Amino acid sequence: MNIMDVKQLSANDFGSDQEVRWCPGCGDYAILKVVKTVLADIGRSPDEVVFVAGIGCAARFPYYLSTYGFHTIHGRAAAVATGVKLANPDLDVWVVGGDGDFMSIGGNHTLHALRRNVDLNLLLFNNAIYGLTKGQYSPTSPVGTRSPSTPGGSVEQPVNAASFALGAGAKFVARGADTLQTHLPGVLKRAHDYRGASFVEILQNCIVYHDGAFGAINDRSESQNVTVRLEHGQPMLFGKENDKALVFNEQKGTFEVAELSQLDSETNVAVHDETNIDRAFALAQMEQPGHPVPLGVLYAEPCPDFVEARGFTGTRSAWDRDALKALL
Amino acid sequence: MTYAVTEACINCKFTDCVEVCPVDCFYEGENMLVIHPDECIDCGVCEPECPEEAIIADTEPGAEKWVALNQKYSEIWPNITERKDPPADAQDWSGKRDKMDYISPAPASA
Repeated sequence: MNIMDVKQLSANDFGSDQEVRWCPGCGDYAILKVVKTVLADIGRSPDEVVFVAGIGCAARFPYYLSTYGFHTIHGRAAAVATGVKLANPDLDVWVVGGDGDFMSIGGNHTLHALRRNVDLNLLLFNNAIYGLTKGQYSPTSPVGTRSPSTPGGSVEQPVNAASFALGAGAKFVARGADTLQTHLPGVLKRAHDYRGASFVEILQNCIVYHDGAFGAINDRSESQNVTVRLEHGQPMLFGKENDKALVFNEQKGTFEVAELSQLDSETNVAVHDETNIDRAFALAQMEQPGHPVPLGVLYAEPCPDFVEARGFTGTRSAWDRDALKALL
Repeated sequence: MTYAVTEACINCKFTDCVEVCPVDCFYEGENMLVIHPDECIDCGVCEPECPEEAIIADTEPGAEKWVALNQKYSEIWPNITERKDPPADAQDWSGKRDKMDYISPAPASA
């Protein structure tokens, strides 16, 4: 019996001996800590877990874990991870990339991994800047971002990652923030538990090239005033005192903010239904200022994953090497 | 992995570290700060901020006793999230060594 089978794993068991080389204060440290904790909670041995990354600051992630890892080429992590998962569906396969890697260089691979619904956990570390190459604007940078490549300020509309994922056909779309250390673990566990492609956008602060890009969202003391924490079946309340509510405007198909005390009845408060795709799109469109940013699971619709839909049994025997040899 | 505050902080408590911590994991005693080892994300941003060089990584030799001390007091002292003025006599204690005799186990007053 493998010793890992009998030992209760701790977060430290998922750390590697590599010196972590992100800038001091980088949000990636916060995510790394949460991921190690979640992996320990999930309890699978490090040799049953694979992290596949592309290129970028975030893509250094596999070096810092004791799991299997693959630092691939720019934007192609989702494609490589698809191969890993199909070759051995027993593995837990995670994909890590930044906003450049997932939304620009690898935008097509992200799209197809999501619509294929391969059982991968895709973690987008969104800092809305190209950090590794020293601060050029990225596909998720807000309009007006001044950077070495946009000295006059960017003019393009940023990609809304959650809307992109929903539009690509993702059946699981969630969002968290790096420093919300008590919220993010639950999001990642839900993503892991979902069988199919799980897309998680993690708002991550780049302290050097885009510090404060997400304002108060990932500030522990202010976050509850500018975010709404989604719980399936629960009324959508937010604010430090839970005194603000979201109401769904059926005519416009959008959420509106209301003071709870001003509502005729608390029954007017919208209740989160994570299986409702229209509501998920409406949630994904909510941005600061004007709306709280939704964190948690925006959308989760059970659906056969790629292996199941293709009629494979999902066990290694179906992909037997001998069978392959016979075929060749 | 965590960073830890050492005795060099005692009676100085400049709180520059508190200002930069992205996860607000500093806790405040009457005359010293500590880092909660379970909350620290090991990002290292606080370490160069300290004018007393009181913050060390747990990979440094002899760090165990400081991590243990930080663990102990972070569980009983209040969380500090914003910079504040140092004690009036902070400069008198700056650079002094072997300050453990002066540590106060009391939490910071509100």
